Amino acid sequence: MRVTDLGGRPAPESLRQLFARVVRGHGPAIPVQRRQIPYWQERGWTLKGRTYTGSYRTPYGAFYGQITDHRGGHIDFLLYNPSDEIRRHSHWVCFQHRGNDWYMVHMAKQPRDVSSGVLTIERLITEAYEQQ
Amino acid sequence: MKHLSVVVAGSGQIRDVQIQPGTTAGDILHQLNLPDYLLSKGPNEPFFAAAESVYDKVKDGEKIFASTKAEVGARACA
Repeated sequence: MRVTDLGGRPAPESLRQLFARVVRGHGPAIPVQRRQIPYWQERGWTLKGRTYTGSYRTPYGAFYGQITDHRGGHIDFLLYNPSDEIRRHSHWVCFQHRGNDWYMVHMAKQPRDVSSGVLTIERLITEAYEQQ
Repeated sequence: MKHLSVVVAGSGQIRDVQIQPGTTAGDILHQLNLPDYLLSKGPNEPFFAAAESVYDKVKDGEKIFASTKAEVGARACA
């Protein structure tokens, strides 16, 4: 007799788990809900009362700002300590100094919501850097 | 056919659309009943013109933004 049956022994745990996964296949897909949040919130702004604080985020940096949503639909967009690049932009004259390095961005056409204004100012800041 | 998720910036609501070659930004906004909005791929990209074909400029499954028209400026500086 050239083969002797020495009896069985349990396979290592790692092998058993691997085999179980192969037999079981993939589990059912778990649907992941998409977050439906306003753009301002997605960009990390916070709201207290009627005032939002946060940063206008661009590939060239984040610029601290404050937004006040007045009753009646008027929204004030403020930017703190604009960089030299922003100050050289053709629309710099539309930034009104409000003291202590705060500037209000004058809108010829008011956005209907805060998020659209944040997008517009982020776009303007990006443009200021790309036009250098 | 491409699928797009249009995020309405003000509310964060996501509207899923399916577009065919040649579909313009105006077609999408009309379909979603967002007449005063503009479409863009984000703050670092320009707005799509209403008559501009969006199909070739987006990837299948991409997220794009719809925001209301806004313009920095005044009579003195526009």
